[in-house]
Amino acid sequence: MNYFNFVVAEIHGARILELENHKKNGGKVVGTFCVFVPDEIILATNAISVGLCSGSQFWIEDGEKVLPRNICPLVKAFTGAKVSQTCPYFQSCDMIVGETTCDAKKKAWEIMNDYMPVHVMELPQMKRDKNIEQWKDEIKLFIDKMEELTGNKVTVENLKKSIDLMKRKRRALKHLYDLRKNTPSPISGLDALLVSQVAFSDDPERFIEKTEELCAELEKRVESLKPSGKKRIMVTGTPMALPNWKLHKIVESLDAEIVVEETCTGTRYFENEVSTDGNTVDDLIDNLAIRYMDINCACFTPNEGRVEDILKYADEYNVDGVIYYNLSFCHTYSIEHERVSKVLKEKNIPLLKIETDYSEEDEGQIKTRVEAFLEMI
Amino acid sequence: MTRHYILFPNSNQGIKLTNCLKKENISFVISPTPRKLSTCCGISVIYDKENEDKIKRIIEQENIEINGFFTLD
Repeated sequence: MNYFNFVVAEIHGARILELENHKKNGGKVVGTFCVFVPDEIILATNAISVGLCSGSQFWIEDGEKVLPRNICPLVKAFTGAKVSQTCPYFQSCDMIVGETTCDAKKKAWEIMNDYMPVHVMELPQMKRDKNIEQWKDEIKLFIDKMEELTGNKVTVENLKKSIDLMKRKRRALKHLYDLRKNTPSPISGLDALLVSQVAFSDDPERFIEKTEELCAELEKRVESLKPSGKKRIMVTGTPMALPNWKLHKIVESLDAEIVVEETCTGTRYFENEVSTDGNTVDDLIDNLAIRYMDINCACFTPNEGRVEDILKYADEYNVDGVIYYNLSFCHTYSIEHERVSKVLKEKNIPLLKIETDYSEEDEGQIKTRVEAFLEMI
Repeated sequence: MTRHYILFPNSNQGIKLTNCLKKENISFVISPTPRKLSTCCGISVIYDKENEDKIKRIIEQENIEINGFFTLD
């Protein structure tokens, strides 16, 4: 775990230096915000992909200078980070890749475009065959854009190589999450969340190696752990971008452990793999489109797959209760709560909805609510 | 919860100490420096109070530069 702590402690030092060196050697750096942006394409053109931090209250004020106050803190934070030029990762990026997962993001890209080049991928909002075809076209446009930016062509060889790299990265994360299925989990939810967050910006090969080392350490720990009696909690809902540790910190200060996150900074990032079958770039694009369109984000209608995932994880991770984490003003997830709560009620799984932003003001209230929830379970 | 920290003027010194502690089998945790102690972005090391004397000896022997030992409640 020390490696991941080091990465975060040195977040404005070590990795930034690597990005700068990559750029000095003619490489490009591309910023992303969403698990729908295919990292495989970025890696295939020898560019570095960094998931940008948008989890800090620090940038909200600057974000609100150009955006309305009543939109989600994640969008306000990343816009504020760029507008105020206070994040070295944003400053390192040659281009950022946006997507159309929600209205706030969709419109914020227009503002971001005044500050740096932005490429927006139009994510379809349904999962019919024609929508998968649309997404394939979007991936092709993205390949053209990346080839233009880097001067490197996407070939069958380099794309297969990057698909394989991402597959190994996803497997490493899956390995870590599988270990959390033990009672008690050998790793705190906060530490596991940190590993997930680091995954978005770290060098993929090194990340895989360090995550496997951590897993080996945890496997040993599992053998000596005795049941702690702590309540096992699943978190589902909106992403927790670095450095948003608010909910985990509160829940795990009580008699509970978070054992799985059904979020974009959790299972949605690593579930399902891209197949390397096929002999042409088009075949591989088909495989990419199928995998990415299988992510169960609330931006889709209908989104039955997400409820099924929650039920599956509740069983696999043996959870005692679910916390529905909703960033303020994230309407798609907020509306989907109704559906999730109905199904969980039928299955007798306790559910608590927490709607919050990045500020510290409501931490006391959230703690009280979580405490009451844990007592009720 | 009381925690004991060692702060460094730069991360190289921090890494140097953690390598020595690893060799000596002394447990530690690398942590971001708490804002209460310093506003810099660097790393610090959390250690067990019982190992303090041993760690002090290592720092002296290996000539590691530190900003000091701190305790936070």
